[in-house]
Amino acid sequence: MKGRPNLYTDYRKEIAILNTTTQKFWALIGLTLLIISSFFFSQYWMYLITTALLTAVAAWGLNIVSGFAGQISLAHGAFVGIGTYVSAVLGGVGSSYIRGYELDMLIWLPLAGIVPAIIGLIISPLAVRLKGLNLGLVTLGLVFIASYIFSNWNSVTGGSGIGRKTAKLKIFGIDFNDGFYAGSYHIEKDQFIFFLSLILFIFAGIGVKNLMRSKIGRAYAAIRDRDIAAEAIGINLYRFKASAFALSSFYAGVAGSLIFVMSGGVDPTQFNLVYSVTFIAIVIVGGAGTVLGPLFGAAFFSLIPGVIKYFLHFFGTTADQVPLHPTQIERLVFGLLLIGFLIFESRGLWGIWFRLRNYFKAWPFSY
Amino acid sequence: MSTIVSFKDVSLNFGGVKALNNVSFDIKEGSLHAIIGPNGAGKTSIFNCISGIYKPTSGHVEFKGENIGSLRPDEIANKGVARTFQNIELFENMTVLDNILIGAHRHIDYGSISGILFGPSVREKEIEARKIAEDIIDFLEIEEYRFSYILSLPYGIQKRVELARALAMKPEIILLDEPAAGMNNEETEDIARFILDIHEELKITTVLVDHDMNMVMDIAEDVIVMDFGQKLFDGIPKDAIHDKQVIEAYLGVSTDK
Repeated sequence: MKGRPNLYTDYRKEIAILNTTTQKFWALIGLTLLIISSFFFSQYWMYLITTALLTAVAAWGLNIVSGFAGQISLAHGAFVGIGTYVSAVLGGVGSSYIRGYELDMLIWLPLAGIVPAIIGLIISPLAVRLKGLNLGLVTLGLVFIASYIFSNWNSVTGGSGIGRKTAKLKIFGIDFNDGFYAGSYHIEKDQFIFFLSLILFIFAGIGVKNLMRSKIGRAYAAIRDRDIAAEAIGINLYRFKASAFALSSFYAGVAGSLIFVMSGGVDPTQFNLVYSVTFIAIVIVGGAGTVLGPLFGAAFFSLIPGVIKYFLHFFGTTADQVPLHPTQIERLVFGLLLIGFLIFESRGLWGIWFRLRNYFKAWPFSY
Repeated sequence: MSTIVSFKDVSLNFGGVKALNNVSFDIKEGSLHAIIGPNGAGKTSIFNCISGIYKPTSGHVEFKGENIGSLRPDEIANKGVARTFQNIELFENMTVLDNILIGAHRHIDYGSISGILFGPSVREKEIEARKIAEDIIDFLEIEEYRFSYILSLPYGIQKRVELARALAMKPEIILLDEPAAGMNNEETEDIARFILDIHEELKITTVLVDHDMNMVMDIAEDVIVMDFGQKLFDGIPKDAIHDKQVIEAYLGVSTDK
């Protein structure tokens, strides 16, 4: 079989994560580029890319519950918030009016996922009772409850408009907040967070792919497409909707624990309805129900501000010469794209990628 | 032969409509049973009561002597009750193979967290499931459609894939809701052959609902005739066609006597 590397000779190869040499090649190239470029990028771009990676992790979480299992959740941003505050309380610095225990990252990172997962499990019976729009409305209620708690629980969140500092980076008792030396090379704090996020991102991505190729992912899709048929096959709707909510919240929480660490502080008003809706937009623009989709969406959404700034700079204009603020342009562009995707390419960025891939696979033939 | 499914005075009401009215019958293990009757006779309601989608208003539905009237559909399915649907209920956005693998759900044993980690034992179980699926693909002769998406398949093949999905459950009893509906003669013959194979080779108790009288009379060992939620007849097909009540239900009563 040496001459035909793309011929599957057993089932093991067929269900592998990267099951062709082309996929392996491009995954390796992408990863290498990302790592190398981290040594050259400005702090601003490092920040954007790190945010993109962590947003992708959170978006994967929403994709598990909404894209795979088909349960609308408008409360995803609230779970990101819970993760942020679990990590900030456990890993942050305390003072007379704010709680903080300065624990090791090995403690706060898993707990930032587990606590939201448990809360997700507790609210999952709602999803079993309700479907579609009704479920959406109930989760909308959860966002309001969560943002009320975030804004008023001052000893944890610092209160609205004030906020608090995020968790400190301490692993095995070693403090990484001022960077560290790898041999003689000094690795900055931001670079360290980038690598941490990249590792988290890779594990999260493998997890989602695993879920997709396992019986769990198939059960989710069955519930999404035809719940009566799924039940008649022996799929326990209660169990799988609950596990979808728990896993999704776990992803949200873990992403949330790191997403504000680079900027150093977080204001509780951050976790409002718009924040949750943003994740839905990312999943839809990227391509719901696919593994790569949320990654495309997150990269797109997080990098847009940088691209807009770059273009403004390129044309020699400064931000104050343009009638709109860059963030306003960014919102506008993203909103227009969202409408555009829903109308013209319902499979999102993933759909475009899919068509391009198939085009080049068949090249030079047009079909 | 022991009884596998038994209805004891089962009634099913939707408001004032009596979908089933004091229906009792037994289905023996290993038999090939047909349920026939005009539209709205309650045939599909019988299936929905067995698979737990409807709960009987009164009476008992028993599976191997156990009352399953209060169980959820997935609990009943996990006891070994498989079914197909009148209007194909396949997962359209998935491949034939994925549909069949979903059917094998109850034979793949690991939890959500193992799924996300996908360790060696999960891998082996997935490969095992794939082997089950391939056996069924081979049995129903749908090899060429293995990686096709359901939406791209012709109706007759979709029906066969739904049968494959039910077989992947390795059930003890399989309920087929109009397996030959909307098919041409050739496809009907195919499906009849597969039903006989399922019954004889795989030794699965088979219950089918259909309008195609020729097929039913040819392959069924026992037949239950339903009309307006009531059982008219229960016996061998040869007697059914001579039964006065059955003839009345199907052909109407002659007025000029």
